[in-house]
Amino acid sequence: MKSFRMLRLHFVLLLSFIALHSTALAQSDPSGKSAVTRTYAIKNATVISKPGSEMKDATVVIKNGLIVNVGKNVSIPDDAEVIDASGLYVYAAFIDGMANTGAKRPESIPRPQNIFTPDPPNDYAGITPENSIISQIDIKSSSLSSMRKAGFGISHSVPYGRMLPGSSSLILLNDADHMDEIVLSKDVSLYAQFVGAPGAYPGNILGIMAKWRNLYRNAVNHKNHTELYAQNPSGLPRPVNDRVSMAFHPVIGKSKSVMFDVDDMLDVRRAMRLQKDLGFNLMIAGVKQAWDMIDELKASNTPIFLSLDLPDEPKENKDDDKSDEVKALEEKRLEAYKLYVSQAAELQKAGIKFGFSTKGTRGNKVKANVMTMIENGLSEADALAALTTNAASMLGLDKVAGTVENGKIANLLVSTAPYFTKKSQIKMMFIDGDRHDYEVKEKKAKKEKSTDSKASETASTSNDPVAGDWSYAFITPGGEENGKLTFTKENGKYTGVMTFEDGTPDTDLKNVNYREGELAFDFEIDGGGQAVQVVVVGNVDGKNFEGKATASVAGQSFELELTAVKDGK
Amino acid sequence: MKMKNILTILLALFSTMALAQVKKGDVLIKGGTVLTVTNGTLENTDVLVRNGKISKIGKNLRAPRGVETVDATGKFVMPGIIDAHSHIAGSAINEGTSQVTAEVSMEDVVNPLDVSIYRALAGGVTSIHLMHGSANVIGGQNETLKLRYGYTNPDDLRFEGAPRTIKFALGENPTRGGRSRGIQPQSRMGVENMIRNSFTQAVAYKKKWDAYRADKSARKVAPEYDLRMQTLVDIMNGDVLVHCHSYRADEIYMLMKVFSDFNIPKLTFQHANEAYKVAPELAAFGASASVFADWWAYKLEVYYSTAYNAAILTNNGVTTSINSDSGELIRHLFHEAAKTQKYGNLSDDESLALITLNPAKQLGIDNRVGSIEEGKDADIAIFDGHPLSVYAIPLMTFVDGVKYFDKATDKGDMRLYVNPESSIEEVMIYDRHDDHRCLEGANALNLRELFSNKK
Repeated sequence: MKSFRMLRLHFVLLLSFIALHSTALAQSDPSGKSAVTRTYAIKNATVISKPGSEMKDATVVIKNGLIVNVGKNVSIPDDAEVIDASGLYVYAAFIDGMANTGAKRPESIPRPQNIFTPDPPNDYAGITPENSIISQIDIKSSSLSSMRKAGFGISHSVPYGRMLPGSSSLILLNDADHMDEIVLSKDVSLYAQFVGAPGAYPGNILGIMAKWRNLYRNAVNHKNHTELYAQNPSGLPRPVNDRVSMAFHPVIGKSKSVMFDVDDMLDVRRAMRLQKDLGFNLMIAGVKQAWDMIDELKASNTPIFLSLDLPDEPKENKDDDKSDEVKALEEKRLEAYKLYVSQAAELQKAGIKFGFSTKGTRGNKVKANVMTMIENGLSEADALAALTTNAASMLGLDKVAGTVENGKIANLLVSTAPYFTKKSQIKMMFIDGDRHDYEVKEKKAKKEKSTDSKASETASTSNDPVAGDWSYAFITPGGEENGKLTFTKENGKYTGVMTFEDGTPDTDLKNVNYREGELAFDFEIDGGGQAVQVVVVGNVDGKNFEGKATASVAGQSFELELTAVKDGK
Repeated sequence: MKMKNILTILLALFSTMALAQVKKGDVLIKGGTVLTVTNGTLENTDVLVRNGKISKIGKNLRAPRGVETVDATGKFVMPGIIDAHSHIAGSAINEGTSQVTAEVSMEDVVNPLDVSIYRALAGGVTSIHLMHGSANVIGGQNETLKLRYGYTNPDDLRFEGAPRTIKFALGENPTRGGRSRGIQPQSRMGVENMIRNSFTQAVAYKKKWDAYRADKSARKVAPEYDLRMQTLVDIMNGDVLVHCHSYRADEIYMLMKVFSDFNIPKLTFQHANEAYKVAPELAAFGASASVFADWWAYKLEVYYSTAYNAAILTNNGVTTSINSDSGELIRHLFHEAAKTQKYGNLSDDESLALITLNPAKQLGIDNRVGSIEEGKDADIAIFDGHPLSVYAIPLMTFVDGVKYFDKATDKGDMRLYVNPESSIEEVMIYDRHDDHRCLEGANALNLRELFSNKK
């Protein structure tokens, strides 16, 4: 036996030696970090093979990236690395219904010269359905490892952009040398959001809804034309190579769904209204407010992914002499909070299957928020189904992922305790059969950390990435302008004021929009009797803002720079 | 077709029907002074409402079994107030990024959660005309709503069957945008030109599609679809009523000429502070006007007006309404109507018509609402005194016979969706409805500044 193992070792060494000297395609590993074997046997574990089905003292065998055996008395292959999982719990790794995981935000698009037209360039208007997340994937993106650390194995990743950013793909949250290794399935859905173009058409939901109808109906005509031409081109005008219309062809043919990124209840209804008008297959994700539309969701059978982003629990004012009015307002606010945290349970009660989306949620909030939903009535089995089997079936993955069963992709989550308990921690993740280990922290340390995050939440306004005072530098042809930008957030909307050190009167900032790091606003200043419109778009990185400002006056426009630093500690 | 499929389809139909159903009420309003608007004032009269409609008006009516009775003795019962120009209950107001955006529609952005709806109900208002803003020459389509506060589905607030309407804008608002961007229109001439060009393009668009539809060939290729052009075609076909933001008499007259040239018969001028100067012309055209009672001088083009505007228009036979254009003014439109008695000696019925029947005519819903008549919708407001008295207080407001406001049981905090992360201590008074830009610059001019000799 021993000699056999030695032989095997030699063989492996030899192989790796050859690999070192052969083409770059091979899996060379001069660091020696890569696994010796891709066969694992996770022994003596409690295996939750799917929601509601638990096996004690079971073994899961993984080989070549697949689950090859699950059960009590399974034989362990010779080449397997045996992991003693006594006291550990094995789940199918989670599936994220919608996120930007793995994608790198593209450089912001420069503002075109001629923007005030009914049809500004498509890339600026955000109408790029022909694009794909594939062109934005960055294998070094930290989001891949941070979402994996949060328990996810597959992400339905969507591209950055505006109204129609492009197609989504299913991404395996694994380390890779090349992007192709982690793309499980390409061009899964056409991704859409209610995000207008700064200062150009369509600028807001009004224009977006109309533009959608216009694009879709033209795409239907284009598809008919293309098919007619394919049958017999003779005597027919040639169909234009219209990339936007062509991107809609599979949607019109219903081989591809539209995934609408929605936020509030009215967004959900708008997406459903477009679906009703135009007839495509719809999925909705990022849903935060669905409690008033349970009947409609059930009737329409729309696949739905709830947002894992929950509001912070309201804090009661501890004043002894607070007025009845304040008490009533606090009570109403608490009721509202309950609606958010119990809606998953309400949907479950109504028999609606749903998944979750992490878009806008940090990985380290995932478990806490699912636990909050469980405390508010969601069953553990349904929470697990939302994270695994429901998501798998809605994304057409149920044959390959979502359960711990033979033949499925080896995407596993190994936790130190039943996952839906306070003390559980993720010890290992297997993605596509590759093992990732995590340090298990002592409970005490964890507690400290959680109080830490609480403390920082208290100062919720100072936590807002935009709200507050910023000192800006605005580089104009006449020199550098300085002053303050003050942003205020009220009811989820930003307003702002800009002050000038040179004594120019304050001006209100209009159309202040902040979305995932991108901040846009515009303002008007007086340029010697002419109104100068300035539109600023840029990225917020912590306390720093770097933006491009486009100033337009009398048909001319030019690019300027505006940078700002947030005040305070 | 398989039975299972048929059943599924039936079930789907039934469930959407069930969802679209809004509540219709039954009520007997007893012993009030009924201001019918179309049939004078009826003392000590009962109004019986069945299934959301006024089924009988008369004396000593008896409530059918199970129908609630409201005692209106000593009180005044009037048709629900209709605001022909409002920007409450909208998630967005302007798609101001381009000068002709006929394709956008306020029906897509109705926000049933806006607490302003309840505040309007508390002022006796039952219907509003939710308008697109006036940032562009041809703005978006508007939406006529019934204020059924409490529903969260925007469709449930829709005034079902109301004609489509659209917003146009003349004067300073669209030209300011044009000048700052260096595009058309930079002057009133440019505004006229843009409207004429747009309609001319729409005529060409219609021709293309008519030819396509007439083509019997199986191998025909559809022309490009353009929702913007299609909407303009619909206007010319008379399917969409135009409501135009305007101030000056010359531009009001200009638009009537343009509409005559394109054979568009129906036209309502909004604001129209100088409409009284062209009142006979408006009457001859058949155009109507929706004005303020006594609000002007908030920017240069509206520097000159008169509180007699509504009265002069009415006396010249122009269908005139008084609108709010504001989430605050909407709560006391009855005061605004009363001002026309002070200034123009209009009769009670004429004054009340300014906020009921006439706006209903302008919106094409006068067959349904705007007066208390048998067969009309039971959209009714009850006041403790005559609504044209400054002392009158609205007590109850009914839409489709359902009580949506009752002063006696008012809960105070009527917000529907509360932000769980909002802070309670902080009070911020900010009127989002000023964002619609119709009165842009309204706060920039004040009398003291205007007549001050200090610069």
